[in-house]
This record gives sequence, structure tokens and C-alpha cells, in this order.
Amino acid sequence: MISTTAKTTSALRARPFLGAASLVALFVALWMALVWSPPDAAMGNVVRILYVHVANAWLAYLAFVVVFLASVAYLWTKRPVFDAIAVASAEIGVLFTGLTLVLGAIWARPTWGVWWSWEPRVITTAVMFAMYIGYLLLRNLSDDLERRATRAAVLGIVLVVDVPIVHLSVTWMNALHQLPSVLRPGLDPTLDPSMLASLIAMTIAFSFLYAYLMTARVDIERRRQVRILEERA
Amino acid sequence: MTLHRIRLMAAREARAERGQPDGLVAAVTFVATLILVESLAVGPLAATQPEVASALFWIAMVFAAILATTRSFERELEDDAIDAVLALPGGRDALYVGKALALTALIALVALVGGALSLLLLSLDVLLAGHLALVLVAGVLAQVPVVVLFVVIALRLRSRAALVPILALPVLVPQLVAATNGTAAAISGDAAGALGWAGLLVAFALVYSVLGLTIVPAALE
Repeated sequence: MISTTAKTTSALRARPFLGAASLVALFVALWMALVWSPPDAAMGNVVRILYVHVANAWLAYLAFVVVFLASVAYLWTKRPVFDAIAVASAEIGVLFTGLTLVLGAIWARPTWGVWWSWEPRVITTAVMFAMYIGYLLLRNLSDDLERRATRAAVLGIVLVVDVPIVHLSVTWMNALHQLPSVLRPGLDPTLDPSMLASLIAMTIAFSFLYAYLMTARVDIERRRQVRILEERA
Repeated sequence: MTLHRIRLMAAREARAERGQPDGLVAAVTFVATLILVESLAVGPLAATQPEVASALFWIAMVFAAILATTRSFERELEDDAIDAVLALPGGRDALYVGKALALTALIALVALVGGALSLLLLSLDVLLAGHLALVLVAGVLAQVPVVVLFVVIALRLRSRAALVPILALPVLVPQLVAATNGTAAAISGDAAGALGWAGLLVAFALVYSVLGLTIVPAALE
């Protein structure tokens, strides 16, 4: 049975601070990416798109892993808060994946000469995007709160299989996309220290933004759950 | 006890299909029609290339598997038989595994007929027939657990006919790529390639079977 009490959690109380931290961190990260870090020897200033593109992609991975963990937790405990966390993270993950694809296309045009290339990383990312749109579609087609949460949790567990496939696709297949530059098991990052610092700063900024959006969206979903149950009663 | 129930469930499915083989007939007809239409669309010359012929065949097979699996579960819903099965102890596991086993046999039969039809229509010479059979079996094994999983997730939902392909096709992309490459390798005489892709398909089959067995019973309502 779903609880009808929406509690004010510490996460919700932290939301204004997360919003302020996001703004400050984004401002600092943008300054580092656009002003402080040098242009790339081969790509020139086009490299600056990658700071946002890569941070978006990492956050999309994180968001979908959170969907997976929240789905497992929901099936384990049947507590609706985990369903709220899963849907919130899925929506934000879809947003970040969409942005990753768009920013990647903007970067690819001057670098590869085309907006879209049929190469493994791009295709697997597009497939991941389609999968999680399907996840959101499944949720919208189901009216019953508990059944929707159960179906979505099962799907949220299955779909996470694609996350490592996306990340490792460039090492498994011949790819135009560059190989991992930072997350290289047993190896040091290949980036210049100032570029790496800018990338880390942007990732931290996007992490704050993700946390802020999560607290807001989870709150909306919890209120929605309460409203549906009140209407049912 | 559960093994006994699984066997009963698979036998029940096979009996239902023998008594009313509309799922099998629809799937075979669908595969044949789709191969014909796809071959015409890409042009007869392009369609006879091993890679293209293999891709057309496996795309048709994915849709046939979705069709047959959806039909099988629709039959359970028609007279609410599913509720009685789910009420039994171990009924959820038995329903999933029994259905998956019976549907694997059914879809393997569809693959056999559809594959023979493809070879005949496109005048393809197969250099490694044994390897081709192995890839076909591995391809079917890799597809069915995923399709059953998504049909179960979308069970009793409105618009499930559209939802199942939307959910299943992106997940089936790696299996489609592996099956297409393995089939083309077997047709062209590349034994190592065919065995490698067949191995990958078996790995997919194992991963999704375990995943399905672990979480699908929770989704069955």
C-alpha cells in the first residue's frame, strides 16, 4: 500500500542551496572552459563544446544508473519514493542524453564534416535515448500507480545494460569517435591538466544541477502520487 | 515441483499451438511477406548480398517473434487463464520459463521455414550449412527471452501492440547485429566469424534469460 504522506525531507530543504551551488559552479566551469583552458592543437576552439558534451554524457550515465538502483530498491521495498526517484532520474537522463546527441552533432560538423555519423558511440547513445523514451512512454500508458511502478522498475533494471555498451562501444568496434580520454582502466587521462580540470569542473557543475533538478522533480512526483491516491479514495 | 510446472506450462503452450496454430501460421506468413517486400524495396540485386539478405531475414524474425509472443499472451488474457496460473505457487516462474521454452521452439520453427524460404527466393548458396544452423539457433535463443520480457512488461496495457516493438527493438539491436553478421559469415564461408557471432548470441541469451528469470515474475500481474 502506498503511503499518502509526502514528507519534507532534508533533500528538499537542500534544494535552494543546490540551486545556488549549480549557478556558481556553472559560472566557474564556463569561465574555465571558455576562457582559462587553451584551445586544442588540432580542433582549436571547437574543443570547448566537448566540456559540456562530455559532462552531459557522464551525467546521463549517472542518471540511468540511479534509475536502475531506484528500480531495484522499489522492487525490494515497494516504497513509492523510489519510483519517484526513478522517474525523475529517467526524465533528467533523457534530457542529458538528448543534449549529448545535439552537442555531439554540433561538434561533429566542423570536426568530422558531417552532423551525424553511423559510428558505434553515436548509434549506441541514440539507441539508449530511444530506450529511455520508451521507458517514459510505458509509464504514461499505465494508470494504476502500483502496476506502473512495478513495470517501470523491471524496465529500469533491464535498460541499464546499455550504459556500459555505450561507454565501451568505442573500444569494441572500429570507431570514428575518440577512445575514452579520462576513464581508462589502469591508465592515466590523456588530457592536458588544464583541460582535465575544466572538464572536472563542468562535471561537478552538472552534478549539482542534476541534484537540484532531482529534488525538484521528486517533489513533484511525490505530490502527484498523493493526489492520485486521494482521487482514488 | 517448479520444473514440473515449467514442463506442464511448455506442454500446455505447445498443445494450444497445435490445436489452434494461428500464431505459427501468422508468424511464418509474416516472415515470408516481409522478406518479399523488403527484397523488393532494396532491389533484387542488393537483396542477394549475404549481409543484406541476413539483415532482412533477422528484421523479419524479430517482428515475427513479437507477433507470436504477443499472440501467445493474448490467448492467456482472453479467458483470464493467466490469473489462475499466477495464483499457483511458483506459477510466475513457470509461466515465464514455460512460455519462453515453448516460444523458442515455435520461433525456431519459423526461422527454419523463413530461412529456407529466404535461401530459395534469393538463390543464395550457403558455404557453411552447419554453421548457419548454429547461428540460427543462437539467434533465436538470444531473441526470445528479450521479447517475452517486453511482452510481459506491456501485458494488459492499452497500446501494447505499439509499445512492445518500441521497447524491444532498441534492446535487440546488438542481437540483430550479431545475428546478421553471423548469418552472413556462415553464408560466405567464414567459419571463425560465424562461430564468434554465435558465441556472442549465446552470451546474450544467457544474460537475458537470467535477467528475465530474476525480475519478470515481479512484473507478472
